[in-house]
Amino acid sequence: MNEEKSEFLKGTLDMLILKVVALGPIHGYAIAQRIQQISRDFFQLQQGSLYPALHRLEDRGWLKAEWKTTETGRDAKFYGLTARGRKQLEAEVANWEKLTDAVALILRTAE
Amino acid sequence: MRWYQRFFSRGPTEKKLDAELRFHLEQQIADYVAAGMTPDEARRRARQEFGGLEQMKEECRDVGTAHLIETLMQDLRYGLRQLRRSPGFTAVAVLTLALGIGANTAIFSVVDCVLLAPLPYPQSDHLVMIWEWNLHLKQVREPSYPNFRDWQRDARSFQEMAGYKWHFFDLSSPGTPEHIASMEISSGFFTMLGVKLPFGREFSPQEDRRGGAPVAIISDQLWRDRFGGSPKALGKPLTLNEVEYTIVGVLPPGFRLFGDTNDAQVFTPLGQGDPLILNPRGSYGCIVIARLRPRVSIAQAQAEMSTTQNRLDQLYPEANKGMGTEVVPLKKQFVGDVGGTLLLLLGAVGLVLLIACGNVANLLLARSTARMREFAIRSALGASRSRVVRQFLTESVLLSLAGGGLGLLVAEWGVKPTLAAVPGSLPRSGEIGLNVQVLLFALGVAITVGILFGLAPVLKSSKSNLHDALKEGGRTSTSGHHHMQGGLVIFQMALTLVLLVGAGLLFRTIRHLWETNPGFDADHLITFQVEFPPSLTKAPSIERAAYQQMLERIRSIPSVEAADFTYNLPLRGWENNAYFWIGSRKPAIIQSAPQMLVYNTGPDYIRTMRIPLLRGRFFTPKDNNSAPCVAVIDSVMAHTYFPNEGPLGQMLTFGWTPPFGPCQIVGVVGHVKHWGLGNESGYVRAESYYPLYQLPDQWVTASEGYRSTTILVRTPLAVDAAMPAIRRAVYGTGREQPVYNVQTMQAIASESMSSQRFPMILLGTFAGLALLLASIGIYGVISYSVAQRVREIGIRVALGAEKSDVFRMVIGQGLRLALAGLALGAVAALIFTRLLSSFSHLLYGVGTNDPWTFAVVSLVLTGVSIVACYIPARRATAVDPTVALRCE
Repeated sequence: MNEEKSEFLKGTLDMLILKVVALGPIHGYAIAQRIQQISRDFFQLQQGSLYPALHRLEDRGWLKAEWKTTETGRDAKFYGLTARGRKQLEAEVANWEKLTDAVALILRTAE
Repeated sequence: MRWYQRFFSRGPTEKKLDAELRFHLEQQIADYVAAGMTPDEARRRARQEFGGLEQMKEECRDVGTAHLIETLMQDLRYGLRQLRRSPGFTAVAVLTLALGIGANTAIFSVVDCVLLAPLPYPQSDHLVMIWEWNLHLKQVREPSYPNFRDWQRDARSFQEMAGYKWHFFDLSSPGTPEHIASMEISSGFFTMLGVKLPFGREFSPQEDRRGGAPVAIISDQLWRDRFGGSPKALGKPLTLNEVEYTIVGVLPPGFRLFGDTNDAQVFTPLGQGDPLILNPRGSYGCIVIARLRPRVSIAQAQAEMSTTQNRLDQLYPEANKGMGTEVVPLKKQFVGDVGGTLLLLLGAVGLVLLIACGNVANLLLARSTARMREFAIRSALGASRSRVVRQFLTESVLLSLAGGGLGLLVAEWGVKPTLAAVPGSLPRSGEIGLNVQVLLFALGVAITVGILFGLAPVLKSSKSNLHDALKEGGRTSTSGHHHMQGGLVIFQMALTLVLLVGAGLLFRTIRHLWETNPGFDADHLITFQVEFPPSLTKAPSIERAAYQQMLERIRSIPSVEAADFTYNLPLRGWENNAYFWIGSRKPAIIQSAPQMLVYNTGPDYIRTMRIPLLRGRFFTPKDNNSAPCVAVIDSVMAHTYFPNEGPLGQMLTFGWTPPFGPCQIVGVVGHVKHWGLGNESGYVRAESYYPLYQLPDQWVTASEGYRSTTILVRTPLAVDAAMPAIRRAVYGTGREQPVYNVQTMQAIASESMSSQRFPMILLGTFAGLALLLASIGIYGVISYSVAQRVREIGIRVALGAEKSDVFRMVIGQGLRLALAGLALGAVAALIFTRLLSSFSHLLYGVGTNDPWTFAVVSLVLTGVSIVACYIPARRATAVDPTVALRCE
């Protein structure tokens, strides 16, 4: 992953995590896998950013965590979205859409 | 597991974080294995990808507040272990801080109690004192009783107004006879203050007048001592000056009008006081306290009082013309001008704390070199910089908290003796002690200084290079330390100089005061008072004879050189002023007449005091109430009011109500320093003498007549040796009369200097403390520097340097620091002494930039620095070049 991609990721990491977690309780490893798969390997999430982000979101009350057993019978920390987290996600998505629309508009009309 | 891993993996949160990350790692490995890698390869790959585990954990930890507390607990545990590991360092640092914080806490507890705490009455900021203000002399004075009653009736700004007078009683029953302080108070006095009596009631207006029933209110202490604390004390009799008073009320425990210990024990109605003193409108001595109505400001009350007093001026011009009023908040009245001194002392003790901080910072700096490697390792293992800083600060705050805790003990243990050493120098001193504010202050100071000196090594470490620290094992890279430690020493020296100069100036002031000629010989003089039984004071002739006989008996003691009685004494601050006029030049408005200080004395007074007689004669026993009135004046009065004509033979009238005289001036004596040994400006300086034997009959027996005089005895014996014979002579009347207030004139002179002595003792103590701390500081830095330079010194010696060269080099290094500190300190001291001299009462007879003080203090500081550097210098000369060169 080059510098550009990582910079790009920083601002949106929280939103992407919230979006993925919104689909249902999920552990950290799976979040990284899911983001990588859905983005078709564009985002290769480093553990170094993922876990601090997860802990930060949990601390802010947007995620709630629970220790549960996986299908393979192991204990893992599952993250789920709280009501406040859902609101935050909606706000961030709305913001994101406004931003991309605006950027797209500039790119189109400035041609 | 290494010790640091154990350290990092504590607590349930840590375990969960570990589990979460381990799960991730294992999943990854499992996926790689599933994708076809060998388990070893998969593990290696996953670990590689995972990156800096500790760093990530650190970041995760930094997120939540729960983590913060947990890391704080870890830091505390770790810090405690570190401090335990080096007990010498810890002990020195904690003791240094305890002295610094303790001294600050002690002074703060005084400031808090005297200046900050409200007076112990409900809505105490509404309480004011009201004085008369002489527009000609620009002086306040206590109003007369009739004026007080008129104010009380007319003024609307006040919810309540009450008056009081000091009084002394001979309490003879129940219990042993005793001379006690009492107050005559008007009805409603305690209601006005907001003090509720736990038993009984206040005086009624009917009791507060001439001919009212003799009733008394007693203090809690008297109630416990004499009535066993029984509620049945109400209605019981109390014999005061042979008159039976009925107890109608008991005060709550701890009631102290002035917040100190010598408060009144008994209260009687003001209106029943001596009519001779109460009734004349031109007399004074009634102190007025009032409670403002809600939402009435001091200025409004002042304006109304001025109008009220103007009306009284017109009604009674003889007594009131030229008298305004002054309304002063009660607290301001009580605290007086001591506030400035206290704040000055708080500043000074703050400097001591800064010096103490400097020492601890230096110790930490020296230690931080040794610990550089440890912190480098921790950083390399993933501890963030803020984490390391936090660890540093936790340790230093731990140190300062320990110092603060010990400091509280120092303060608690130090305040009382200090105050006891300088009695009467502080108002409200009875209330001083440790309380919540003081504890909070100590806590705040401890945390602040902990951060302050903890920052020094942190600032230093920010510049150091991790790599170097690891590589060199923290043995070198210390040049930055030298600068910072040297700077701290210079700073400490400068502050110490400031304190030494301040203490030095005050010391010189006190020496000047001692050397000042007070106008009399204060050595070998004993003063005391005697309470006569009513049988001897019921008629003027009997009382005159009783005093004369007692004095004769005292004079017949072989060791007594001279003795007499006097109504007034110098250096006690007693204000016995009188308006006066010469010949028939009585002014239309008496308040515009000049004032003089009056001594009513016996004929042997100036011989006893050894006041020189300059012209004419002093009184003789023949100047009694059947002889023509005579007076004696002092040189200042002669010079001021008789510049051209001789005063002898002139007629002087004492403008009391009613006036005394005219009396013929028969002599001139030397001036006596009445108001203190220092500056007399702003006080009435002209002095006059009036013979006590000529006092009109009704004044002899008045409560402020003969019985309030002081007996003065000149004897070469010490007090303890002289008093038994004197007591026997006093008791010669057949009944044991209380002899009280026994005091030498020397003690009175010493007490008169308490406003200088109190700050001098404290500033001196602080300066001594500062000197000690600063010398420890310079010793520590030079020793450390010698230890660091062993190799360099070894090379020098190997290259032919003599032991004396090495010695000079080390001493020189210390001296350079000391001299730089002196230069800096001299500038600061000049500023500080300006501040000192702005308190007019503090310095006397010495300039603020007194070269002697500066020179001596600089020499002392330089000398102490050389002594402090001597041991490390000797150590440097003992360096063996072969050993020194081999050791690195």
